[in-house]
Amino acid sequence: MKTRVLILGATGYVGRRLAAALHASDWAEPVAATRRKPVVGGDIETVFCEATDTVSLTQAAAGVDALVNCVAGSADTMVATARAMAEVQASRSRPLRIVHFSSMAVYGDAVGKVDEDHPFASLPAQSYGGAKIQAEALLADVLQVGILRPGCIYGAGSPQWTERIVRLLRARRLGDLGPAGDGCSNLVHVDDVVAAATAVLQRGADGAFNLAMAGAPSWNVYFMRLARAMGAVPVRRMTARRLKLEGKVLAPPLKILEIAGGKAGLRGLPPVISPALLRLWQQDIRLDVRRAEQVLGMQWTTLEAGLAESLASRSGQSEEARN
Amino acid sequence: MLLDANALPQDARLHADICIVGAGAAGIAMALSLADSGLDVIVLEAGGQEPEPRTQALYEGTVEDAALHSPLDRYRQRELGGSTTIWGGRCMPLDPIDFEARPYISGSGWPIGAEDLAPYYPAANAWCEAGDYAYTIAEAFAGPRRPMLDGFDESHFSTHTLERFSCPTNFGGRYLQRLRAAPDLRVVLHANVTRLELDEAGEAIRHVEFKTLDGKIFVVSADSVVLAAGGLEVVRLLLNSPGRTGRGLGNAHDVVGRYYMCHLAGTIGNLVLAPPHRAWHGYDVADDGTYCRRRLALRPGVQREQGIGNFVARLHHPRITDPAHGTAILSLLFLARAFVPYEYAKRLHGDERVTMGAWLRHGVNVLRGAPSVVGFLWHWLRDRTLAARKFPSIIVYPRTERYSLDFHAEQEPNRDSRVSLGASVDELGMRRLHVDWHYTRQDVATVQKSLALLAADVRGSGIGEFDYDPGEVEREMTRYGAYGGHHIGTARMGDDPRTSVVDRNCRVHEVRNLYVAGAAVFPTSSQANPTLTLVALALRLARHLQVRHAGGEPADPGSPA
Repeated sequence: MKTRVLILGATGYVGRRLAAALHASDWAEPVAATRRKPVVGGDIETVFCEATDTVSLTQAAAGVDALVNCVAGSADTMVATARAMAEVQASRSRPLRIVHFSSMAVYGDAVGKVDEDHPFASLPAQSYGGAKIQAEALLADVLQVGILRPGCIYGAGSPQWTERIVRLLRARRLGDLGPAGDGCSNLVHVDDVVAAATAVLQRGADGAFNLAMAGAPSWNVYFMRLARAMGAVPVRRMTARRLKLEGKVLAPPLKILEIAGGKAGLRGLPPVISPALLRLWQQDIRLDVRRAEQVLGMQWTTLEAGLAESLASRSGQSEEARN
Repeated sequence: MLLDANALPQDARLHADICIVGAGAAGIAMALSLADSGLDVIVLEAGGQEPEPRTQALYEGTVEDAALHSPLDRYRQRELGGSTTIWGGRCMPLDPIDFEARPYISGSGWPIGAEDLAPYYPAANAWCEAGDYAYTIAEAFAGPRRPMLDGFDESHFSTHTLERFSCPTNFGGRYLQRLRAAPDLRVVLHANVTRLELDEAGEAIRHVEFKTLDGKIFVVSADSVVLAAGGLEVVRLLLNSPGRTGRGLGNAHDVVGRYYMCHLAGTIGNLVLAPPHRAWHGYDVADDGTYCRRRLALRPGVQREQGIGNFVARLHHPRITDPAHGTAILSLLFLARAFVPYEYAKRLHGDERVTMGAWLRHGVNVLRGAPSVVGFLWHWLRDRTLAARKFPSIIVYPRTERYSLDFHAEQEPNRDSRVSLGASVDELGMRRLHVDWHYTRQDVATVQKSLALLAADVRGSGIGEFDYDPGEVEREMTRYGAYGGHHIGTARMGDDPRTSVVDRNCRVHEVRNLYVAGAAVFPTSSQANPTLTLVALALRLARHLQVRHAGGEPADPGSPA
């Protein structure tokens, strides 16, 4: 009898990878929750579900043993989903095993070594980090919840930390950032994220877990290694002047273009290097991942292997075609 | 964190596990590599975050022969970042032969070997931002590159080794944020160390005294003290404290300040290649963005055979001062020399009087080559002035294959070449330095024999002619005196206290807890510019101190990544 796992946000990057991994396993059967037509592909079972709605979620979760929340979206969506999960769990006679994806964003602008007991930052409720904090708070007293707080998830098809960076490197808008790229990247390969979620499901681990490769490189090292692996060489040393221009002058119009273009269905617009991104690349926060190693038995994909995987099937299309 | 001595409370007493004197390349690399060690580190930096004339003036001193050595407040900077605020960024490791005791180089032989330093070079390279630790053309580049000297017989000189260029990285600016953020690290600015006080037994430093220019006096007590203030200033710090013998700290055997070496450099001769032979004297850009350049390096076997020191040469543009080169960019440089920083302008000034006619001919060169001047200025603006990784030097591609030769040679250790205390005193009461730099006949022979070999090899290879006047060699290698900024050997490393100041772990022989980081500890000077090696030695010292303090296995040698 396989464990049936309902995946919320199954069309997202991590959700798809997790669904595929569970589908390939001999112990689990993924059920992809979707609000639209089934787009997960293959022969993965799908179920209609409005994750922010308790009634809808209760129905979708009726025949499953576990639930993984990979929902990303607006702050309201993320908070409402957590609230619905808490309510569903409270109403069940046989509680679900729950994996909830949070983020290192809950630590805000903390620096230095940060473990899971580090206090949450105080962030605006409508911010990404603020929403993740509220979501965790809603799940704090819920039974059987394992919370994953990944750093920056990279890997083939990762929109934020592989695809976007690849495009910026190719356009020579990124390179060696000097002092502006000294922050620790807290990179974690998507396979490791999937492995961590799987470990929580199988081992029934509760509590929060930071996820980042041990000894994660600085952003400078990541950009340099990725640029060289993809052949965007020689890698440029970016001036402080140029980065300021990106954050202050180019970012606002590019952001408007991105929003407008997104509505119009345009793809391939130039990525934005926002002031928040520039701050992140300088922020020397280092996730302490010993708990994930000890409790979940995590072993981390090396940067070398992760880069090879990232670039092996480079474009987003081929990634979708495979699924 | 960053502190200012001027803002310390009057009765502040500082204590640390390790006190580092000087926040230059060595001091900053050491301090940051100790950041996660759990050791409490204080760095005392005499200057501030910007150059300050009154602080810089503390470096003034006297020289025995002004024609042979630059003034002592030049080529070194008393400010956060030290002389990396003005350096050119040329990096290369020492060659294995440099560590050997060579019978033909007096006082040669390091107590450590190339293998002892090897583990620290890659991290040093990263701190210097010189890209991969790859110093041959084959290691640094995947595909074949155009030859440096097409058709040249390389049995005496190789052309496959590289020099790699730092941005050039100002350690003060580049690592400022990390100095601020590192736990257990305090960097105190405007802290001029004036005295190193021994304990009653005379065996260890009890405390380090420092003063502000306003006359405030403080002390730091520390379990270990590291002098990382540069090859000249370390002499001043040691000799201004009496030590156990009264002859100066660490100076029981009168070695401190002796064996002072720089390098011997000059530009000489005319290398004319016969068609179709061509040369490539420009930069190759590595995938990591680093500018790399090849040079003619005298092979170690040939050094032994000839009994001469280490030697390298680069192909260079013809002498700038002589308008006969007919090159617009060179004439422009000559005419604009007043705007070039002192440390880089020396070679733009010949010692001959420049006639009105020569000025005119330089002007004509510029006018005739106006388009190439525009192209050059654009390249310079884009790749140097506005770039974060700067194009390292002016490369002029000649119309015909004509070059001069830029050489850089080892200077042998010489007891009589000396830095000592002079008669005058600075405003903090410290005696100023006096420099009496000397070179030897052996130093002249190194350059003479190398050039003769090179000329024979060029001719023997049938690629052209290298013409130079052997009678001019000594004059050329001393035309601008000792090579500026390389202050080597003044607190040399060795096993015998009678001929050295520090031991193989860079500890001053006669003091239990006093160390020296920097080119001062090099027993010999190599052909290599010293910064990369002194950073590697500083990282080695940091690791040594970590082991010594912790008693356990230290973490990985600090890399900036």
